[in-house]
Amino acid sequence: MATSNKNDQVDLGLRQFIKNLGYIAGGSVLLGSIPWLESCTPEKLKEIKNQKARIALIGTGSRGVYHICNLLKVPHAEIVALCDNYPPNLKTASELCPKAKTYTDYKKMLESKDIDGVIICTPLNWHAPMVLDSLAAGKHTFCEKAMALTMDECKAIYNAYQKTNKVLYFGMQRLFDEKYIKAIQMIHSGLIGDVVGMRCHWFRNSDWRRPVPSPELERKINWRLYKESSAGLMTELAAHQLEVSNWALRRIPDSVIGMGDIVFWKDGREVNDSISLTYHYKNNVKTTYETLISNKFNGMGEQVLGHKGTMELAKGEYYFEDVEPAPAILQLINQVESKAFSTVPIAGPSWVPELATQHKPHYVVEGKISINPGVDMTGVDKDGSDILISAFCQAAITGEKAKNIVEECYCSTMLCLMGNQAVSEQKKINFPENYKIPYLNF
Amino acid sequence: MNSSYCNYYESSSLFHGSLLNIMGTRFDILIVIENKTMGEVLWNKIQSELIRLNKLLNRFDIESEVSQINSNAYSSPFIISPEMWEILLSCRKYHKQTKGLFDITLKDYNKVLLNDENRSVSFVEKDFHIDFGGYAKGYATEKIKDILMENNIENSFINFGNSSIYGLGRHPYGNCWSIGIENPYKKGEMLGEYKLKDDGMSTSGNMPANPKHIVNPFTGDYNEEKKLVSIVTKNAIDAEVVSTSLMIAQKEEKEEIVKNFNLSEILIYKL
Repeated sequence: MATSNKNDQVDLGLRQFIKNLGYIAGGSVLLGSIPWLESCTPEKLKEIKNQKARIALIGTGSRGVYHICNLLKVPHAEIVALCDNYPPNLKTASELCPKAKTYTDYKKMLESKDIDGVIICTPLNWHAPMVLDSLAAGKHTFCEKAMALTMDECKAIYNAYQKTNKVLYFGMQRLFDEKYIKAIQMIHSGLIGDVVGMRCHWFRNSDWRRPVPSPELERKINWRLYKESSAGLMTELAAHQLEVSNWALRRIPDSVIGMGDIVFWKDGREVNDSISLTYHYKNNVKTTYETLISNKFNGMGEQVLGHKGTMELAKGEYYFEDVEPAPAILQLINQVESKAFSTVPIAGPSWVPELATQHKPHYVVEGKISINPGVDMTGVDKDGSDILISAFCQAAITGEKAKNIVEECYCSTMLCLMGNQAVSEQKKINFPENYKIPYLNF
Repeated sequence: MNSSYCNYYESSSLFHGSLLNIMGTRFDILIVIENKTMGEVLWNKIQSELIRLNKLLNRFDIESEVSQINSNAYSSPFIISPEMWEILLSCRKYHKQTKGLFDITLKDYNKVLLNDENRSVSFVEKDFHIDFGGYAKGYATEKIKDILMENNIENSFINFGNSSIYGLGRHPYGNCWSIGIENPYKKGEMLGEYKLKDDGMSTSGNMPANPKHIVNPFTGDYNEEKKLVSIVTKNAIDAEVVSTSLMIAQKEEKEEIVKNFNLSEILIYKL
């Protein structure tokens, strides 16, 4: 571990984030529904004061550079190595962190003893070999979502994780997004009643292509469009949303049916540009999933439908079906739910009924929040990615594993791959027995 | 129509019931209770009681007993229910204790005759009516309190449209229910706070959406002051009667009125 005297501050972003969730020192109970945060509490952050995780990146394309920009703001991280086999991207990244050693062969880089944590942002087909090699090389590892290109690869990663004592994170940033965490806690506390359905969608109007400087680079640059390297919109977009669906429902679907086609972008790509699926949970709740990239009207969203209200997760808003609870009463309820006690500003002259209060939004987080319109292909500000990367760097110092992240990513990736299978085989696909893991309810 | 909502928060053993459009406002209650079913059973009792009281005391409901009195008591003595009889007597007592400032006729309660023999009520003058606006919420709160006591509830929070609040026992994570008074003219500004523990708090005042609604029975004028009065006392009806009276009381009257009640706190804010 490298240490530095220059920087004695701890990561204010991560600390503030946990405080915003109502965390009180020693109050482990509060993190009960978000166990992956137990490994990065403010106290634990204090313990690693002055230490820096030595971080290496494999893949310095757009997502890699996005992480680099966040990493540069993390006081307990230092980028020591960069690896890419596409020279222009490696050059761009190297300009951002000139002190980092550069590699073109990731295996060579993994041999280095001066690396604590590895961040992998490569095409999907490279996730499994790189994660497995990185763990085998004794490195704490962070890999972008989805987990891997095939079910077998996912299982191999899951199994390797059971055996390793190294930390493994996946880029499931919604698990680190305040508005998602608070909203899910509200759902679990019964705010919108029983969850009876879920609607997820991601709509864009763009070809999902990157400019290619010369034709032989097409498959390398536009890896998202070809089946050898990508599972298409499911693993790139749906992975996040299906994870949220399971999180809200505290279950994993048992089957999926659906359809998918190339409806508009008939440009030689192999992956579908339009997919509609229905996931079925054992308690008969269904999640519908829709994605289409030739109409952006509906944007991106995850709606949790309860018998008493609706939660719009991506917007951080919720609505009640009938009577709207008074705000001060809700404040009092939320306070009790988070085991806190303070004064509630509730007294005043008599409340007079308002007219036309139907379906007025309520907000999960007070004040300005960042909403991801779902348009950007690389990532947006303040969607939890910065917190997630900071938490990983902390873990790369302490070596403390984060609960549930691997399991959440495994399940959501499996569901993405099952969705693609349902589309290609034109039939209902059950969650395969031999791929079930002991996690949540199926 | 009264729309009703309820929810049970399992992890906190907290039941929340809400009833809209009851006595011109909304009603919310939080009850700390072991399970959802018990909460629902109790909530049904509370709702029935509130709807019953609305039928007794709401003059804007044409079927209510008070509406019947208002349309019939001038032409001939009107026989009333035993409960209404008790209420009218108690209002007479409050009328005296507040030097006539608490007046359910908003004019002159002395011109309402109560005949003990047949328990009837009659208006001496034409165009008289009874309005329980400054009384009913306190009365209903006391009734709900009774229901909670009968059902061995120790901790509960009753909110009748923010103006009549009762904190029974304590907040699950505190030793009381800590209530802040918000400035109706400045959202977010807290004027003061009070810790309720088996206490009622009634707040009277004007607000932008409702700038004048309290009448001085002696002058017939609406009070238009930017002022807020909060009264804390064990009895929710006392709290409501005193807070309304102090909105319009002069300094000397105020002192005399206050002497007649056992008040825990008098909070007056000029805004």
